Amino acid sequence: MLKPEQMSRLLIVASKDQMAPVISELYRHHLFHIEDFVEAGAQGYEGFKIGTPLSGASEASGDLVKIRVIQNTFSIRSDDFEVKERHNQSALQGLIERELPAIEQEVEELTGKRSKLDTKIKEYEQKIAEISPFVGIPGDLDLYRGYSNFVVFAGYVAKEVSISVPHEMFFAKGKGKNFMVVIVPAEKRIAVEGVLQEAGYQAVPIPEESGNPQGRINFYNEQIALLKKETVEINRKLDAIKEKHAGFLVACEEILKVQVEKTEAPLRFATTNETFVAEGWVPSVSVETIREGLISATGGKIFLTVLPTDPEHDSVPVEYHNPSFAKPTQMLMDVYSRPKYTEIDPTLTLSIVFPLFFGLILGDVGYGLILLAMCFGLRKFMKGADGSQLLIVLRNASISSIFFGLLFGEFLGFALPWRPVIFSRHLNIGAHSAGHGPQIPELMILAIWIGLLHITLGRVLGMINHARQDHGDHRTKAVMANFGWLAVMWGLMIVIWSIAAMPLMPDLTTLPATVMNLNSAAIVGAVLLVIGVLLIVRDSALEIVELPTIISHVLSYTRIVAVGLSSVAIAMVVNFISIGMLIEPQLGNITIIGVLLIIMGVAVFLIGQTLNLALGILGSGLHSIRLNYVEYFTKFYKGGGKKYNPFGFNRRFTED
Amino acid sequence: MAAEVVAAITDIELMKASQMGMKALGAGLAVGLTGIGAGVAEMAIGSAAVGATAENKDVFGLVLLLTVIPETIVIFGLVVGLLLLF
Repeated sequence: MLKPEQMSRLLIVASKDQMAPVISELYRHHLFHIEDFVEAGAQGYEGFKIGTPLSGASEASGDLVKIRVIQNTFSIRSDDFEVKERHNQSALQGLIERELPAIEQEVEELTGKRSKLDTKIKEYEQKIAEISPFVGIPGDLDLYRGYSNFVVFAGYVAKEVSISVPHEMFFAKGKGKNFMVVIVPAEKRIAVEGVLQEAGYQAVPIPEESGNPQGRINFYNEQIALLKKETVEINRKLDAIKEKHAGFLVACEEILKVQVEKTEAPLRFATTNETFVAEGWVPSVSVETIREGLISATGGKIFLTVLPTDPEHDSVPVEYHNPSFAKPTQMLMDVYSRPKYTEIDPTLTLSIVFPLFFGLILGDVGYGLILLAMCFGLRKFMKGADGSQLLIVLRNASISSIFFGLLFGEFLGFALPWRPVIFSRHLNIGAHSAGHGPQIPELMILAIWIGLLHITLGRVLGMINHARQDHGDHRTKAVMANFGWLAVMWGLMIVIWSIAAMPLMPDLTTLPATVMNLNSAAIVGAVLLVIGVLLIVRDSALEIVELPTIISHVLSYTRIVAVGLSSVAIAMVVNFISIGMLIEPQLGNITIIGVLLIIMGVAVFLIGQTLNLALGILGSGLHSIRLNYVEYFTKFYKGGGKKYNPFGFNRRFTED
Repeated sequence: MAAEVVAAITDIELMKASQMGMKALGAGLAVGLTGIGAGVAEMAIGSAAVGATAENKDVFGLVLLLTVIPETIVIFGLVVGLLLLF
């Protein structure tokens, strides 16, 4: 909790003939994060070489490429594929040998045919495009070609042209540009070209066709229809293949992927002529399991030891270590940055604070229920690990917004039949104008309290982080500087309390005045403030320019109210327009126009509420996560840890 | 006398109404102008952020942070607007 999983550095040495069983065993455990060996002459590794892949690596990669090509043709993605049955590995191995080439050949043939048909269709369409200008001109297409004493000009002109030499002209008026065919004696060519040039002539190639233009177009259209029919047939066949073999293909891909990863693992090990050395990280709790597994797999012909680690200089891979309810929130952490090994992992706090903020902002039973339904509905479509984690995070957020919706007494912008349990967010819009109106100052101060506490938590975590990570003089200074930031913030608050009385805040204005018309609380606050600034400066004088962020970061939390209120306002306006203005006045006396207005009102209601829901989810999500990323994380969190990526794979479609 | 009282009362009502109007104007200006300010500031940062993310996906968290920094201005505007109105 609040700390990443503890890791141990494991060194494995064995002779090369044990390589295959060792790799298999490590793969099975799916715990060993391999440190890739680089031939850089590192201390203790002089003379070692990168290993060579085990036998069968290139065959497996070749097969894998083939399968992925077929999968691409069918657009099958194993992440989205539902597990129907688990295939037995050894049975499948035989099937790969026998069936894969046949499937591959069939698919290749069909796709080849399909692309040939597609080119043919394109060709015909091109021909139709070439012929179509000539449709408006009487005369067969072969009349335009084959003269030795005449020249044929065909093309578009802006307006009708008059040609002085003897000629024959056909003119077809069109929208914007007119099509024209002119036939003139060959010796007058130059003169006519000049005239046409002036009229903005654009030549059109004369199609290599014969017969009536419309007839040719009809012919090609028929041809295209036939070809399209054939394509549909081929697509149907491909679909049948997909239907039949999709499960087999994803299972094959999985098996081959496993095989490729296993056979290529030696590329990450250091080897000599007879031995190999593998170095990597395992969670400390699993060291014994791996040790026992490896010893029994190799019959004891192996040397294993846990190397001493230096968490600050080794790049230790980081695996989260959280209670299960906080696990989905790890996704939001990875979006920002994975914590460093030595750092506090704030996932747990994020998993509690994020839904709270989300609920406070959205705070509406109706929207919460819709979002909850969406989370369950989308489960079918978002099967990837990230997708399902996001859905769980959103599910928690929607439950929280239902909860706060009950407290605020809101349902799609309507008031629930009880008085808001905490503070009212109902605006005086339309029918609700008689109500109490929103308690803006109280809500704002509540938000500021949340901000103060959240930032204080961040600074405290910052103090712990510095105490853990830094050394010597800098350590004290950094810890004290964090305390200084806290002192300035709370000092400022005390000074404000002593000057102005506010709802929900301690009122210190009544204390007796002492020196300079300031009361004792103001003096305490001012002293805290000055001490804080001094502590900050002692660590780094440049930080002074950051002092205004104390105010801006705390005030930034008022967005919880501001964004929430804007969403309430939109919902209420939509309700007022649709129900108050369009539907309600018509209900007393129903006419045809009235019915139309009612339908319009329903449309306004649906569109408006949908848009507001989208805005609400987006706004609430982004602003709650931003308050964590910007206002909270900047106080203590650096991130940049390396992801723990153990050697191995969770098989979904196959089993041993 | 009675007419004067009525006139005075209407004057006061007019004054109140125009005060409300001024408040609404002020709130509108606060939100609108800060919105423009935040938009202008976010424009350059946002485009740079998208470019950086396209080159290296890992910086997403950092650039999101940088992009939303100017947004605080408009939140302040909204807060001032709300405080003016209520």
